[in-house]
Amino acid sequence: MIKKLLLTTAFTMISVAANAVDVPINGTVQSRCVITTDTPGVFGNPNAYTLTTSASDGGVSPIVRFDVTLANAYYAQITTPTSFSSSPSLSETVTWTGSTSVSAVSDATGMAGYETGKTTFGQTTQYDLTATGSTWFTSSSVATNGGSKAFPGGSYTAVVQAICVAQ
Amino acid sequence: MKNYIVAFILLLFSTNVFAHDMTPTYPELEVSYLDGLLVTELEVFNKRNDVDYYEIAVFDEEWLPVPFVTSYKIIQLKYLERVRFSVYIRSTDRDRATYVCSKSRTRNDPAPSAVISSTICSKFRKDD
Repeated sequence: MIKKLLLTTAFTMISVAANAVDVPINGTVQSRCVITTDTPGVFGNPNAYTLTTSASDGGVSPIVRFDVTLANAYYAQITTPTSFSSSPSLSETVTWTGSTSVSAVSDATGMAGYETGKTTFGQTTQYDLTATGSTWFTSSSVATNGGSKAFPGGSYTAVVQAICVAQ
Repeated sequence: MKNYIVAFILLLFSTNVFAHDMTPTYPELEVSYLDGLLVTELEVFNKRNDVDYYEIAVFDEEWLPVPFVTSYKIIQLKYLERVRFSVYIRSTDRDRATYVCSKSRTRNDPAPSAVISSTICSKFRKDD
């Protein structure tokens, strides 16, 4: 009886050992830059000849987030609009002003220099993304119709361009 | 610390999160089965529910366009879909081709708005 029990135990142990196989878990980690639209912008209309994203004038500033998983591998370029992508027919020249700034960061130490280190050319602002993590950029944009003439009624859309470029 | 709190609050209240993602960051051009053409594979993931189309383009160091071929230069990509696609360029353009980009094609919104166009540019790996 004892002999049989020992034999059964031994077979069970061998069988367990034979079934113990390594199950691989495969995955690939790739460096990436993800652009996320956190807040789409809205133009406020404080007077007849101005459209602005300023909150005090009823607008909403667009906020875009850049998530990078590799430091010193990307730069962010954000360009504020210089024309409407759709609008009613306009007879006057529209003047555009705009700016972009860092509104929040996920790494206060590594990203502390982003705002002071930015480069601006025309309506475009460029940031070197030197740290991994998330950075939120906010843009403001003001369109003024020439001669202080009223914008015709209708819908107006302008495009903020957010570009993430591998270095 | 303040920035962390701001970032956390922004994350918490970001109910409409729309993202655009393209990999790899440094694609490699390889010899294709077509004579005189090099090929690389990329993947675009559309997490923007305000975007249905992405445009593919190839540029040199000076951001001048470089000729290339894909199945579709404008890819229809529904929300939360990803697509893998091949980009072919001429072998003679190997040194010139620097960036391959995917750019969101924005819709016109009826409300007065400043929409955000997203572009992600990968850089071709250059072997010395």
